[in-house]
Amino acid sequence: MKKTLVILTRNPLSLIGLILVGIVVLSALFADVITPFPAHVGAVVDFANFNQPPHWPNIFGTDLVGRDLFTRVVYAYRISLILGIVVLAIAVPIGVAIGLAAGYLGGWTEYLLMRLTDVFLSIPPLVLAMSIMGLLQPTLTNGMIAVTAMWWPWYTRLVYNIARSEKEEGYVLAAEVIGASKLHIMFREILPNCVPSIITKMTLDFGFVILIASSLSFLGLGVQPPTPDLGSMVAEGAKYLPDSWWLTVFPGLAILIAVFGFNLIGDALREILGVDQ
Amino acid sequence: MTSVLKTIAAALLAATAFCAHANAETVLRLDESPVGELDPAKASDYADSILMFNLYDTLVIPKQGQPGYDPFLAASFESADGKTYTFKLRTDVKFQSGHPLTADDVVFSFDRMMKLGQGLSYLFENVEKAAAIDASTVKFTLKTVYAPFISALTRLPIVDKALVLQNLAEGEGDMKDWGQAYLSTHTAGTGAYTVVSHNPQEETVMAKNADYFLKVPAVAPDTVRLRYGLEAATVRTLIAQGEHEISSQWLPPEVLKSLAADGAQLLTEKGTTEFYIKLNTTKPPFDDLECRLAVTYAFDYESGVKMVAVSDQVSQGSPATGALPVGMLGALGGEPLKRDVEKAKEHLAKCKYKPEDMKVELTWIGEVPLEERFALLMQANFAEIGIQAEVRKLPWALFSEQVSKPENTPNISQVFVNTMSGDPDTLLYSMYHSSAAGTWMSPEYLKDAEVDALLEKGRTTLDEAERAKVYEAANKRLIALAPSIFAQDQTAVFAASNKVSVPALSDPAKAFALAGFGFNFRLMEMKQ
Amino acid sequence: MSPFFRLLAKRLGTSLIVLIGVSLLIFAIARVIPGDPARIALGPNATAEAVLALREKLHLDASFLTQYGYFLADLARGDLGISLYTNRPVMTDIAQFLPATLELVLVSGLMMVAIGLPLGILSARRRGTWVDHTIRLVTMLGVSAPAFVWAVVLMLAFSYFLKIFPIAGRLSDSITVPSMTGFMLIDTLLAGNLRAFADAVWHLILPAFALALSGIGQAARLVRSNMVETYERPYIEMAEAYGFPEKRIARRYAFRPSLIPSLTIIGLDFAAMLGSAFLVEAVYAWPGLSRYGVAVILRKDLNAIVGTVLIISAMFLIVNIIVDILVSIINPRIRLSQRAS
Repeated sequence: MKKTLVILTRNPLSLIGLILVGIVVLSALFADVITPFPAHVGAVVDFANFNQPPHWPNIFGTDLVGRDLFTRVVYAYRISLILGIVVLAIAVPIGVAIGLAAGYLGGWTEYLLMRLTDVFLSIPPLVLAMSIMGLLQPTLTNGMIAVTAMWWPWYTRLVYNIARSEKEEGYVLAAEVIGASKLHIMFREILPNCVPSIITKMTLDFGFVILIASSLSFLGLGVQPPTPDLGSMVAEGAKYLPDSWWLTVFPGLAILIAVFGFNLIGDALREILGVDQ
Repeated sequence: MTSVLKTIAAALLAATAFCAHANAETVLRLDESPVGELDPAKASDYADSILMFNLYDTLVIPKQGQPGYDPFLAASFESADGKTYTFKLRTDVKFQSGHPLTADDVVFSFDRMMKLGQGLSYLFENVEKAAAIDASTVKFTLKTVYAPFISALTRLPIVDKALVLQNLAEGEGDMKDWGQAYLSTHTAGTGAYTVVSHNPQEETVMAKNADYFLKVPAVAPDTVRLRYGLEAATVRTLIAQGEHEISSQWLPPEVLKSLAADGAQLLTEKGTTEFYIKLNTTKPPFDDLECRLAVTYAFDYESGVKMVAVSDQVSQGSPATGALPVGMLGALGGEPLKRDVEKAKEHLAKCKYKPEDMKVELTWIGEVPLEERFALLMQANFAEIGIQAEVRKLPWALFSEQVSKPENTPNISQVFVNTMSGDPDTLLYSMYHSSAAGTWMSPEYLKDAEVDALLEKGRTTLDEAERAKVYEAANKRLIALAPSIFAQDQTAVFAASNKVSVPALSDPAKAFALAGFGFNFRLMEMKQ
Repeated sequence: MSPFFRLLAKRLGTSLIVLIGVSLLIFAIARVIPGDPARIALGPNATAEAVLALREKLHLDASFLTQYGYFLADLARGDLGISLYTNRPVMTDIAQFLPATLELVLVSGLMMVAIGLPLGILSARRRGTWVDHTIRLVTMLGVSAPAFVWAVVLMLAFSYFLKIFPIAGRLSDSITVPSMTGFMLIDTLLAGNLRAFADAVWHLILPAFALALSGIGQAARLVRSNMVETYERPYIEMAEAYGFPEKRIARRYAFRPSLIPSLTIIGLDFAAMLGSAFLVEAVYAWPGLSRYGVAVILRKDLNAIVGTVLIISAMFLIVNIIVDILVSIINPRIRLSQRAS
């Protein structure tokens, strides 16, 4: 772990990634301290100072009801990160367990599980998430459920492929010979070999989860106002282009920075851990 | 890569070549929210109304610059008792198919509207039947005396019966599908414009009807492209670059402001729509009149109007005086409604609920982003008198579902309501009569015998002056009962390039008191 | 060839099973969405009788399985029901809107391969140099923002400020071409109108590029990492030791094997574009199917939701089969049987 970190800081690209992600995480953690108007996260109106271009003290300008855009962008990182963590925390274990079972057990289990996975995979992710969001009410929790529902099959596929090739390996056969339980083989023998791939994919996916969530809120299905959300900010702000450019540009940049940072690290990790596609 | 560049260059050349010889015919380009519904019996929203008013004609149309209605496809009409109306049709009108207009067509159009039961058919609930007396005389028989009947006729487009009968598709009964499949992509009217092509999601292209019975003036646009679903930023850019003539009314005030600053003209339509903030009178805290009065006094009407201002002269809202927009029959003159924090606090003190115990859910319709700003304004206003409200966004579909049960209906919801026919009855009856409760127009669930009686009287009073008094009384009663905050009268504001002039939307003396009627393309003038 | 066809048939069979699964899933989701579709379809002022009649017509009060049965029976006749959004048969709507989306997605896919692959190859051949770093950085940027952000940025820059490309639509107002296939590029050619064709291309470039950007990035990154990995294989080192020309090594030994895993992922990506095309269609007022799909979901237009999702999923499956076939052509050793499972 430590060694990995050291290597990451040596490569210029991954170093940039570390710095960007560091900025994102720190600003999310210390949002209350670094933002000038923490109250503007909620329903505050200041019609004397609305739709203003960047100026001091509103360095990103103000939104259409006079709230500080910088404050709202920084707080929006919190929501994005929470969403990323929760989605992956649910999707990965589910996807991995199904993938292991299908890959190792084979037979009808494999057929049924993989067809189920195919069903979910063959509905385009946004369409699936939208249908679910339409069904439930558009809230943060439901947003997480929707994104999770579209995410797990990718981990199933990944783990399934590894598990299928690993199950013929000597160490698995040896474990079978000693009479180790199926659960033991799946989770204690095969799973550790999947970990590097999973971790790499998770780092890369973190950025994509943020992207998908922002696409959902672009369609009006995301986090609900007044809670700040990057996707909705871009979507809302896009109506006011090109005149009120700051409404779109800063939230857009914020998405770009976060996703870019995670991608850079993920890419570097893939090389360091020697994970193939 | 080089081949791509070459293609681009070719395209650019092609595009510039086109500009050279494109000014022989005039094109009017405008946009509306999707989807464009061609079937006139299903028309309900603004886009549909624009299509209907241009492709079809009605027996009567609103008078220009004043209240009242003139005969149009009818040459004259009369009623002795207010229960039967006899219309003499013009004899010089032909459908676009060439068929002459007859009384049969009118009867068919009415029957079709009622049979399909969609769109604005509810305006004719009180009509028992329509019958052809002879080829050019139609008699409508009403169930009871119904004063708004003539105004409702502005929403009964006359369809070419013979053409529809030639194009029936599968369905049950004599009339099969009543021509629904055909009329969803074709027109069968007498209108000044005819459909060239129609894609409900992209655009409807219309051209002048050369045989129109009133002759379409030469300055009116030759071709009209009504586009659907353009983003605000797209419209803003297109107009600035001279590739679009009239925007929809759904542009946010800031965008209208930028366009006006770039030299666009602002067209307006007034007196047909009001913005209502609806209070659920069946649930705490707004089942208590004092609490309702408190919030009606707490709301900052002036800031609300300022919030939607476009320029010093033009705003998307103007101060409201009561339950009806200024200019409509029964609207109150005098002082607009005003904020009064002291009074709000007095009423709140008399309310049986304590502000700290209140759970107020303040919703806005997701499809109308402007309402979010009103929600935030209210939240701040109410906080000042100690009421904490929680803002919630509600998609339209969910909202219209929730209001069907009083217990699911939010404490506060926001709705823009427009009179489909220009008559106060269509606004007030559907909103405040106790029998109409539980639709998107009536989430108040108001039950008041006096209001009911007045609204019923308004329907059956034929004398105009008398009617005005009835509606004024109803208006005052509603202000006292405070089922809604009468937030502001809405003005529809459209940004337009200077290539077109639209007297009906810029000169009050030429305006029509009917939403969408100003978009009669034959009354527009294109500048070369 | 016979094993080839047998396996193809097997793949098609599996796809059919998946498609049935998709229809069940989406059918179930669509039915439990809150809101009365009949009421929404008829508008807020429709009479209660009209709503009841429509509910009956749509079998909304029947049990789930009964409804699904009606659906399958209609589907067998090629009937997906009436869209409550446009009041037309869903099939008519799909036939009208699908070509616009397909055209957009196909051109994007083309850009993805035509720009992404060369960038990836170049990056791998110059691995570790500044060329590599720059390409990786730029392609990574492409992946790091959603398509709608790129769409907005490109439109602002090239249509609003530079005025090089048109802002919206598929064809200039002054041009009309009879619609035959719905594919503007083909229709204009069929009409023999080269100027119109150029105009259609001119309208297509920005939206397609905005949609392709993340795909280009993905493709370049994949090809690069796969090739870099291949470069570390002993046989390449051997070839290098023998003094084979670098270009030949790159093309023959490094690129080919890395093409297969890349192709699979590119196929998935390409299919995913069908779903995310909406974001771009919205910005460029592109009258496509994805936009229709979002509108019908928001309107709870059951027939149209089911129809649209089914069509998009079917496209997705078809693309995947095509990719599998391509892979088996490139490398006959990888037989369809292996990939089928």
